Amino acid sequence: MIEALLDLARRRVAGGEEGDGGGADALWRRAERTSVAFEWGRLKSAGATEETGINLRVRHRGRVGVAGMTGIVGDDAGTRQAAPLLDRAVASAELGEELELAFPSRAPLPRVPTFFDRAADASLDQLIQLGQGVLERLTREGCQVNVAIEREVSETRVANAAGAEGAYRATAVGVTADVWRIAGDDVLTVGDEITGADLPAQRELDGLVQSITARLGFALAIAAPPEGALPVVFTPAGLSAVLLPITQGLSGKAVLQGISPLGKKVGERVFDERFALTDDPLVPGRAASRPLDDECVPSRVTSLVERGVVRRFVYDLETAARARTASTGHGQRGIFGKPVPAYTNLILGETGNGKRERSPQFGGGLLGDIKDGLVVDELIGVGQGNVIGGAFSHPVALAYRVERGEITGRVKDAAVAGNVYELLGRIAGFGNDARWSGTRFAPSLLLEGVSVARR
Amino acid sequence: MIDRLAAALTRARADYTEIRVERLWSSSVTFRGRRLESATVSEDQGGFVRVLNRAHGWGMASFTSLDQLERMVARANELSRAVRLERAVELAPVAPQRAEAILDLDGDVRGVPLAEKKRLVESYNGAMLGVSGSIVDTLAAYRDEVNEYWYVNSEGAALHELRPEVVLSGTATARRDGTIEKGLESIGLRRGWNAVQDRTADFRRVAERAVQLLDAPRVKGGTYPVILDSELAGVFAHEAIGHLSEADFVYANPQMREMMVLGRRFGKPVLTVGDDGAAPGLRGTLPFDDEGTPTRNTVLIKEGVLVGRLHSRETAAAMGEQPTGNARAISFRHAPIVRMTNTYIANGRGTFEDLIQDLKLGVYACGAFGGQTLLENFSFTAAYGHMIRDGHVAEMVKDVVLAGNLFQTLDRIDHIAGDFQWNQMGGGCGKGGQAPLPVTEGAPHVRIEAALIGGDVSAVT
Repeated sequence: MIEALLDLARRRVAGGEEGDGGGADALWRRAERTSVAFEWGRLKSAGATEETGINLRVRHRGRVGVAGMTGIVGDDAGTRQAAPLLDRAVASAELGEELELAFPSRAPLPRVPTFFDRAADASLDQLIQLGQGVLERLTREGCQVNVAIEREVSETRVANAAGAEGAYRATAVGVTADVWRIAGDDVLTVGDEITGADLPAQRELDGLVQSITARLGFALAIAAPPEGALPVVFTPAGLSAVLLPITQGLSGKAVLQGISPLGKKVGERVFDERFALTDDPLVPGRAASRPLDDECVPSRVTSLVERGVVRRFVYDLETAARARTASTGHGQRGIFGKPVPAYTNLILGETGNGKRERSPQFGGGLLGDIKDGLVVDELIGVGQGNVIGGAFSHPVALAYRVERGEITGRVKDAAVAGNVYELLGRIAGFGNDARWSGTRFAPSLLLEGVSVARR
Repeated sequence: MIDRLAAALTRARADYTEIRVERLWSSSVTFRGRRLESATVSEDQGGFVRVLNRAHGWGMASFTSLDQLERMVARANELSRAVRLERAVELAPVAPQRAEAILDLDGDVRGVPLAEKKRLVESYNGAMLGVSGSIVDTLAAYRDEVNEYWYVNSEGAALHELRPEVVLSGTATARRDGTIEKGLESIGLRRGWNAVQDRTADFRRVAERAVQLLDAPRVKGGTYPVILDSELAGVFAHEAIGHLSEADFVYANPQMREMMVLGRRFGKPVLTVGDDGAAPGLRGTLPFDDEGTPTRNTVLIKEGVLVGRLHSRETAAAMGEQPTGNARAISFRHAPIVRMTNTYIANGRGTFEDLIQDLKLGVYACGAFGGQTLLENFSFTAAYGHMIRDGHVAEMVKDVVLAGNLFQTLDRIDHIAGDFQWNQMGGGCGKGGQAPLPVTEGAPHVRIEAALIGGDVSAVT
């Protein structure tokens, strides 16, 4: 069906004087989501979403434009609805910038499992029972529990006028749970989630329940916050504030705009020599995995940081063309707007210690050496402000005090601050608790000299 | 369309059914640095069906192909019947509204050529780039929208609306060696093309601020008396009071009901806070919410005492209170949930000078990069700040992050000036995976006796 659209585009877009200024690519995606929500301890709603859309990009006389649409009637985007979509894309290109955008040609695609029958075939009742099971195991006196299950089945087709194409079906399942405890004016919420391409295994569900239960248990006692430049363990979930400036700085787009502190640092050691960061779209069973990106570039593993040395940035076709380099296969596009560079599965590892055994223990075995410090599990306001510079300052949402190697209680009314480029220059410890948090796989990290303030 | 939706309702088998359909026309132009990023026109459409049966829960279905309408009504009913409840969901009564509401399009954006929009945004972008050689990156973004909206429910409501919106934003990044600073401003209006003209000075100011911040020291972390400017005070009202007033957090939770009991004192008598979905001419204003309930002004805190909260029909029924017209969805892809509209801190008395004249040392926190609440804890990031020394505004400082406990901070608001204004910012509110929802915030200058300011925390240890 996008073939018909691309045929139409081939005839319409012009190559200009040189004859190489034309081209087009398109993405068609259909997704069906089923969701079940347990609110405050009881099953509350069930929902279904069906969405189909097309995103078309054309290069017309050397200029690039895009257009998107939903509301596709049946399978018929090739004729009646295609023409106005193409008109809009060409109109967008007429105002667009000149760009030597090279659409990739046909290439073999890697094999990566993205579709799991068990997830696709799960009935509504099965999803309800899955949620009910989690809910029952988390229910306790004085607490309220929310659980949500979402299952998505999607089909993606992407093709260009140069003959490259790819199509795949994918499933994704998310289980989120949070437990609330309110005592007077103290509001405590502890949550976790499982995401994957298949239904979660029993072991993963056990892990979810244990993770919430353990952190809730530690949180019941309140400890006075420490103050000063202290050792702080950032859990896999708590690492967001520390990693966000790095991922923003490794985006080819930020480098191109001249705002990345890492822009001129390829080949330089910027981080602790054990620090490694990899983008891997080929991990089996992850929802972000796919055989090709949304611009027909085959998926492959990209090493971003190796042994603390910056290796490369992520690019989509446009930023690569502007930076005179090749796309790394990180083009991501929605139904509306143009593609943007985006990560798939981000793997933070310790160089030379990739296969360390996982331990479910909170803190990843890093607490023993801490005389006085914190474990940070969640911060408030991550992503606000001037992120890319590397400085951060956030109040804690969920953090624990560590004294003489033991957790002594939850810390309230404290804020942590620092500069990630200073903190990640020397990492005092990698935890043995590496796990997935959304699309990121990381262990806990022990960082020294993090500023902790209290009021 | 209304007839088609009404026909689908007559075939619906559930106790309660509602259908929303939206057809969106939108265009956007974005400049990044010296380049046009994109100029596009988009058309989006779809519907949302929500169904309720006695002794069952909500069944919901959203879709982008309107030819699937009848099937999706049936699907939502099946989903509702799969959800068995011991305690039925009740909806507070609302008289069914029938209305045709065509809002003032103020220069219909659909009639303005994309090339003309490109010219305007290019000139605003150029104004930022022209400020200084230290401006290394800019983002000038324009987006408009006309949303044709239909709503019907099985109680007899039938609404047809035409809702315009324009959002304009400027971000300037200044860099000197390793120091990178950002200026950011935006406006969001429920208006049209006429409303975004003559904004060059605003864009220039964004770039000037980014350059000034290069030389500004980081604020020293610690506890200070803090003056919030109107924009940040508005964000505070939204983040700290507004979210906690959303009844969906409260209604099913006995401990939370106790914490948020009406009549509880939250602040000094100077403090009055509310949410007004009917305030004329604002971005958060609409005649009805997404359950067909008329919008209105709801006072949340009156002279320091909690007197109201924001409701959907469901939360109002559960708490024995009145619906307030705050059930909102960002689009047909989502269910309506309890949200704010235009949230405000009401005017006090006196001037900004009255707030600072007796302060030996304090912080004047201005503009908002953003804010987040985790119920009792909140954080917001000011765009910039100034120290206050001996009763006067002194040097500019950066990295001003306010972190606080809601209850303590509300009680420490001791002075509110009489210079109220609405701030129609772009962006919007996020909750439950629905963002950005168009909202407005308004406030006068507000003084907090003592608040924790993050920033260069190591400087005080």
